[in-house]
Amino acid sequence: MIRFIVRRLVLLVPVFIGLTLLVFTISHVLPGDPVKLAAGPQATAEEIASLSREFGMDRPLPQQYWHYATGLLQGDWGQSVLTRRPVAADLKIYLPATLELVFAAIFLAILIGIPAGLLSAITANRWPDYLTRILSLASIAMPRFFLALVLQLVFAMSLAWLPLNGRFPIIDLPPPAITGMLTIDSLLAGDWLAFTTSCEHLLMPALAMSLSPLATITRMMRASTLDVLQQDYVLTERALGLSQSLIILKYVLRNAFSSTLTVIGLYIGWLLSGSVLVETVFDWPGIGLYATKAIVTQDFMPVMGVTLSIGFIFVLVNLVIDLLYGVINPKVRYQ
Amino acid sequence: MKQFKSLWRWVAMATILGAVSTAVMPQAQAQTAPRKILVVASNQDVPNFDPHVATGYSASALLRNLYDPLVRVEGNPPQVKPHLAESYTVSADGMEYLFKLDAKAKFSDGSPVTAEAVKYSFDRLVRLKKGNAWMIAGIVDETSVSVVDARTVKIKLAKPFVAFPHVLPWLWIVNPKLVEDNKGTDDGQTWLKSNIAGSGAFVLKRAEPGNLYELEKVASPWKSGGGNLTGAIWRIIRETSNQRLAVQRGEAHMALDLTSEDMDALKDKPGVVSVIEPEFRTFSIKLNTEHGPLADINLRKAISYAFNYQAMLDSAGYAQLMVGPLPNGIFGHDPKLAVPTTDLDKAKEFLAKSKVPNGGIKLTMVHVSGLEQQRRFALVLLDSLKKLNIELDIKPMVWPDMVASTASPDKMADFFPVYQTANYGDPDNIAFAAYHSSRNGNWQNPVYKNPKVDALILAGRAETDQAKRQAIYVEMQKQVVEDAPDIFGVLEKRKLALRSDVQGFIFTPVASNAVEFFPLSLK
Repeated sequence: MIRFIVRRLVLLVPVFIGLTLLVFTISHVLPGDPVKLAAGPQATAEEIASLSREFGMDRPLPQQYWHYATGLLQGDWGQSVLTRRPVAADLKIYLPATLELVFAAIFLAILIGIPAGLLSAITANRWPDYLTRILSLASIAMPRFFLALVLQLVFAMSLAWLPLNGRFPIIDLPPPAITGMLTIDSLLAGDWLAFTTSCEHLLMPALAMSLSPLATITRMMRASTLDVLQQDYVLTERALGLSQSLIILKYVLRNAFSSTLTVIGLYIGWLLSGSVLVETVFDWPGIGLYATKAIVTQDFMPVMGVTLSIGFIFVLVNLVIDLLYGVINPKVRYQ
Repeated sequence: MKQFKSLWRWVAMATILGAVSTAVMPQAQAQTAPRKILVVASNQDVPNFDPHVATGYSASALLRNLYDPLVRVEGNPPQVKPHLAESYTVSADGMEYLFKLDAKAKFSDGSPVTAEAVKYSFDRLVRLKKGNAWMIAGIVDETSVSVVDARTVKIKLAKPFVAFPHVLPWLWIVNPKLVEDNKGTDDGQTWLKSNIAGSGAFVLKRAEPGNLYELEKVASPWKSGGGNLTGAIWRIIRETSNQRLAVQRGEAHMALDLTSEDMDALKDKPGVVSVIEPEFRTFSIKLNTEHGPLADINLRKAISYAFNYQAMLDSAGYAQLMVGPLPNGIFGHDPKLAVPTTDLDKAKEFLAKSKVPNGGIKLTMVHVSGLEQQRRFALVLLDSLKKLNIELDIKPMVWPDMVASTASPDKMADFFPVYQTANYGDPDNIAFAAYHSSRNGNWQNPVYKNPKVDALILAGRAETDQAKRQAIYVEMQKQVVEDAPDIFGVLEKRKLALRSDVQGFIFTPVASNAVEFFPLSLK
């Protein structure tokens, strides 16, 4: 097991080198001129050249890459040309906000999707199954931003149950930042009011984001549960007179969950890179908005920082998922 | 089967419980801001607080509340008013300014704002050549500012620049001691990025990049008067519809980036006041006068007369058509200027004189990808050109690519749309940026050049006699219209929404969304 983890972690190194090379090259061969843009409309040619020198963009591309790569090793993620803020400082602010949103969305998707998938399989071809399938298909088909707007309209505007947007009431001071995730930070601070307040803000965006994984998890659980229910050992367990609840919860669920776990891992990466729509609608100051702004202004360093951090988290999450296979199914052994 | 039924019940219950446990919706606290704290909704972040580096309207808004300039601008039409300088005099030739500082003026650490601080700030701005330094580039240099006594400072201009008082509201004075103490290796840029060394009525209480910035009024501001605000929050709300909803619900007192559709939706909403005012922000379509078919003046004029100005106005929402190159209402603008209007016969006359008398060519227009308004204007142009048997290829591009394309005439598209916001309330701002040939290769004036126009713009900068100056700008506008380098478009009105409990707000057509908080009150 330890060897497996170490090997996977070592494999991260070539993945990152490849990722930095790829993103660095693509972002630097694009035709735009971010330095000219950052210098402002009134800048003279001399001022633009001076800014270009300041950010090392007058050097050959391989030299720029080397400078960036060595900087990374020392914890320097570069600086935004447009805002002149260090990328690492920005990521520290924006990344936890998106991670909190993504984890909450996945949590909701699992919490609702797994029982719904089980229900659908157990009641196959009866009305609860039909209903679940219709809802799943509708959830996959519905764009996230549309659901986000509907949620805002109903729960914030009409019913006034939930806040319209943001992460925390603007007048109040948020809990001291430890992880940057307000729900966790408020728990760490023992501030129950802050916890419930941040949950209220988190609920709608997380629900909007969870829709697609929720539907997929439901469908996957249904399919794999139906498959497992046909297995001989389930028949044997029934013949032995085990209660149906025990069969489903102890044996069927465990075996049916493995393939769903793979999907969950993939979805975390997908949600991380596709959070921008929900973040825009709910004014969630996360990495999606940060990345989008950097991309349209061709601000290289933030683009690099976002890509690398998402890549890192994606690889790490999938490593955890791989390890969870072993927990769920003891037959899985790592070498 | 019975067992399955029992299990079904269990699973159904678990599902409902799961759904309910996550969907329980506690009553959200009403997010009304406590009284006296003004909440402003804006879509722009403030990534840098260095007053000599930062640019953008959001930075201007916060900096003008955290720092003080020598003079400030207010009113409609914009007037220059004393601020740190309680008075100033100008020499007869307009080259030397003498500022007398207000004895009460003090920085937030209690130290007085001295002539030395003014000199330090101007020298730093000139040295860094960043932020708003372009406003005085070539006009104020390292030797220009001198200290006469502790409260008197002299600025000797290197070149004549009558608009000098109009740029001063955007040049802020820093506390030299604080900057020197935190100078580092980059002239204090790293420190000032997130720290304040100003004398403004507010200090920065909280900064959450990408989310909000909270300002708190100092205990006893050196300025007298002002409103009853105890603080202000700059809240970043990216979607204009969300800004509208925030004002509607009372979660924000002011929304700064609203569209015409938002303003229509806010009509008759209780507790909301709409502000729709003309400002000095022009939209025109630049023509490539130096390369390709549009280098032919007759073709440019044909297009100018074929263009459907009414359709553009209709699609612009709250707007008015421009009359010539300068914004309507600014000093020097000639409202009687003869500008092209839609006249197909005249357009065909000019087309017949051009190198393509029968049309049959294809031109290209770029626009900023995602800017719906610009796409609509491009469609108006496409429709107008069809009447001259000219096709139009519309290419959306990201802004950095568009900026890069203005480097030389051969890279520039035939049509290049540009919004230009006046940074100061003087005709020199738009005239110099958009029509002086020294700005060629830049997106504000990629290619247009005419030595006569250059000379008139420079003469306008130097002329101290107002009547003569007015005549210079009238002549300059006439010549620009004659050269037809642009399709003069629209002045989109500024659209703001305020809660009715905001008092003391006076609209200014210069930097109208960079709101000054000091005069404001909340009921």
